[in-house]
Amino acid sequence: MEPSLRTPDQTDTELAIAAARGDGDAFGVLVERYGLAARRVARAVLGHGDDADDAAQDGFIAAWRAIGQFDIARPFRPWLMRIVANAALDLVRRRKVRRAVTIPETVESRQISPDRATEDAIFRERFSAALSGLPERQRVAVVLFDAEGYGHAEIAEVLGVPEGTVRSYVFHARRALRRALGVYREEPDA
Amino acid sequence: MREPSFDHAPDRAMGDLLRQALDGPAPEAFVARVRSAIGHDGRETSWDVLGRWAPAGLVAAGVAAALVWMLLRPAADPRDNGSMLASAPVQMEVTPQQAESDVLTATLLEGR
Repeated sequence: MEPSLRTPDQTDTELAIAAARGDGDAFGVLVERYGLAARRVARAVLGHGDDADDAAQDGFIAAWRAIGQFDIARPFRPWLMRIVANAALDLVRRRKVRRAVTIPETVESRQISPDRATEDAIFRERFSAALSGLPERQRVAVVLFDAEGYGHAEIAEVLGVPEGTVRSYVFHARRALRRALGVYREEPDA
Repeated sequence: MREPSFDHAPDRAMGDLLRQALDGPAPEAFVARVRSAIGHDGRETSWDVLGRWAPAGLVAAGVAAALVWMLLRPAADPRDNGSMLASAPVQMEVTPQQAESDVLTATLLEGR
């Protein structure tokens, strides 16, 4: 069936079953459905580089190869996003190994360049800096919760941690981001 | 404004900021790139796996069938032992599976 002929309300599970039978177009619909969210998750882990796009793509390819193992009794998107997040986190680990071997001669500056010193640009820059300063799993958790609308249980499945840990990740990530933006003042110590 | 404690609902404003911060350029091109990569990735079906193993499988099945035939035939008709030995190739004496066969060992000893 051509992708254009597919009804938009075909469920993820229906598409995954078709994909498991070798229907690449069905998997293509899933790529269209979740491609940009997966890219955001990869960029949350890896930053704004080609590595993030490569990791997101690698995640989709891994999911395509493993689609026959997808359990149709479970929701599709945490399964997919777990593969994508793992692809990105694996790349982070490999980067850390490379960094341990090769000491860079220059250090990337986080300072705001003068030509971007508008209020809006500063705001975005502060937000990005705060986001990149978070631990990777907190970044994934807050992106999935606030930007992608995942529930705590789904994120727990993606990250392989208990739901309570996800709540903690989201709470701490939000607090750090809000403080960086000056939206909320810090709570006084009790 | 005080910082909220655990929130159980997504923060839309935070979500918008996160999407703005993380959206990359040319989203359609990215999706097309992934779709293309999927299309060029020759995911193995069960038939591909079977196809790859078919030659080795056929050879193994042929060898197994020959062994079974050679091992069962003398047991079924002991009078044919001589003719079987006469027609048996040299490798019969050196193949481990055949050496493990009591029937064949007995046949060989009888032949000597």
